[in-house]
Amino acid sequence: MLQVHNLTYRYDETIYDFSLHVEKNEIVGITGESGSGKSTLLDLIAGFLTPLSGNISFKNEDITLLNTEHRPITILFQKYNTFEHLSVIKNVLLGIGTSLKVKKQDLDEAKQILKEVGLEGFENKIASSLSGGQSQRVALARSLIRKKPILLLDEPFTGLDLQTRIKMLNLVKKISKKRGLYTIMVTHDINDCELIANRVYNVKNGKLCLV
Amino acid sequence: MLSNSIWRFRLSVFPGGVISIGLLLLAFLVFYTLFLNSDYESFTSSLITNRTIGLIKFTIFQALLSTIISIIIGTILAWSLAHQSSFRGRDYLVALLSSSLVLPTLIVVFGIISILGNNGWVNRALLHFFDYSFENSIYGLGGILIAHVYLNASFATRSLLHIFESIPQERYKLAKSLNFSTFKRFLLVEYPAIKLSLKSISSTIFLLCFTSFAIVLTLGGSPAYNTLEVAIYEAVRLDFDIPLALKLALIQLCITMVLVFLSANFKIGNSNIKTQDRKILWKEPKKLQIFQIFTIFVFTLFFVLPLISIFVDGLSADFRKILSDSLFIKSFFTSLFIATISGIITVIFALLISDTRRNFNLSHRIKKSKTTNFFNILIAFSGNIYLAIPSLILGLSFFLLSQKFQAPLTVWAIGAVLCANVLMSLPFALSIIYPPMQRIAQHYDKLSFSLNLTGARRWLYCEWPYLKSSIVYVFTLSFCLSLGDLGVIALFGSNEITTLPWYLYQLMGSYQTKDGAGVAMILLVLTLSIFILLPKVFKNASST
Repeated sequence: MLQVHNLTYRYDETIYDFSLHVEKNEIVGITGESGSGKSTLLDLIAGFLTPLSGNISFKNEDITLLNTEHRPITILFQKYNTFEHLSVIKNVLLGIGTSLKVKKQDLDEAKQILKEVGLEGFENKIASSLSGGQSQRVALARSLIRKKPILLLDEPFTGLDLQTRIKMLNLVKKISKKRGLYTIMVTHDINDCELIANRVYNVKNGKLCLV
Repeated sequence: MLSNSIWRFRLSVFPGGVISIGLLLLAFLVFYTLFLNSDYESFTSSLITNRTIGLIKFTIFQALLSTIISIIIGTILAWSLAHQSSFRGRDYLVALLSSSLVLPTLIVVFGIISILGNNGWVNRALLHFFDYSFENSIYGLGGILIAHVYLNASFATRSLLHIFESIPQERYKLAKSLNFSTFKRFLLVEYPAIKLSLKSISSTIFLLCFTSFAIVLTLGGSPAYNTLEVAIYEAVRLDFDIPLALKLALIQLCITMVLVFLSANFKIGNSNIKTQDRKILWKEPKKLQIFQIFTIFVFTLFFVLPLISIFVDGLSADFRKILSDSLFIKSFFTSLFIATISGIITVIFALLISDTRRNFNLSHRIKKSKTTNFFNILIAFSGNIYLAIPSLILGLSFFLLSQKFQAPLTVWAIGAVLCANVLMSLPFALSIIYPPMQRIAQHYDKLSFSLNLTGARRWLYCEWPYLKSSIVYVFTLSFCLSLGDLGVIALFGSNEITTLPWYLYQLMGSYQTKDGAGVAMILLVLTLSIFILLPKVFKNASST
């Protein structure tokens, strides 16, 4: 279980105090108004921000003081998820390592995951030529190849058309279940949560309230 | 609704269009005057001499070397500043880097000589502590490179810092979560962001160094270190060899035209855009932090010491003597007059040219076609002809015209200086004013037409509130650039027509170093205070 326990953070005059837990195979939705602190929560869990107090534990191990790269997490942002000048396959392979040499085994795995997210045949396309939905699929594929159990989604499908968005949400749901992930999705659209989340929290006055 | 306004847009193309045509005609006039005055046979027969080849080689060599060093230093310093965003004094350092754009080149030369000259601070300190001094003179290639790097590395740093700070946080977060090394982060996140700008900044710096005049004139030292620009000056002022000056001017004009064409990018990086003030969420390893802090410290010294030396040396000057010198008073007021007029003309030109350009660029205003694209490129080029026609060449053609048409030399001189100053400021002015003007049109065209806001009312409600700070900034920039320029005035300068930089150059040439230090300090204080205070005063006045 991923457990966030009284994680506090101060930004200007606001003091945030977050507590929540996420079970295996579970998708937890976080909603709230713009500037309410939804993304701050993800930044704290990912280790981009250092909390004032509290702790984060995963499978009973404290990960609060670990650096981002050593935490069992992988993230999908709303924008800038891919390196536009690189090909799709290179973008995915960056999830395994940043070495310039690529093993055949890794290449095969990357192709397999691209197939899983519906991008078979796109391997050698340059990322800048992809549509918004396709770019997010590449990012999702890279998140999956990292084999990190916690998936953080920071408004990843905002800006996509409704049809693509529903497809992507269902894909996340399917993959999350298949791979036994612990997923937290931040979104300003409650409909997204209704579609795939097992539980939904609302951020209000710096605290999480179960909806 | 917008289609009804298309005719008005078509009409509003004219003011800026006329100015652009005027600027292009000016360029043609320069060409024509130079060709008209050159003896074609002797020109072609003596085009390739050892002297001209030597001049071309050295001009390209020093410009290339200056560009490479400036870009390397600029990139490292901007990268270090981007990752060290919270040390005390950072804002002042960034402001200083911005203001180096308007620092009079003679001030920089004066400061560098004060620090690194034979009798400079470094040598005096070495002599005092170690009984040793450098024998090498600052005059020559070394001095030229140091001064060029001083001015251009700060320009590159400021432009690149803005780009580093504009890299989306998500990119850094993603790189961090993917466990990128510092090198990999630079290669995949930072280099792609700065790559395009590196090209345009490099080509701008190369052109600026290629046509650099005051620095080479004062620090070149000997004919071996002459560039084409200085050779033209010497041919006119010292040897009175107008045919040689014409030949060199035409060679330089051809080369700069080719260079501008090859660079295919007429944009000048806006080195003074406000920084994002954004902290990069990436804690650097200790060793890297030390390297970045060390880099910032060393280059802060490099940029600050020459300015401090001007204050220290200047304080010992006899200000009563300087301020009572009638030539100083004349220079002072002439400089202020020319700078004010240059600033006003630059603002008007930049506004009108930008207005015309946005009509061609926005398809809801004028439908895009090959013709509109052509006009757009032509107008963009007209605002940047300074890069192709250096001020000294412009001055030379005015000088030749003054010989032909009998008007007082003062009129020709002031006309030439004003022209050169406006042309010099326009590329920067356009890069500052055009983006917000385009944004205003994109955001408010529909609204202003629905409210029937046109003409002066549109300007008052829709344009001025969003443009005023850019306008004041452009005026200040143009004012300061004009105040410190030693270009055209070097051809026309005399006791009759004199500006502060020319007066300072005369003092330096006659070894009146003490008075020179005083005048340098006055010029520095004047430039910096106007550059820093004017936008602030205006901002405060408009907010109350």
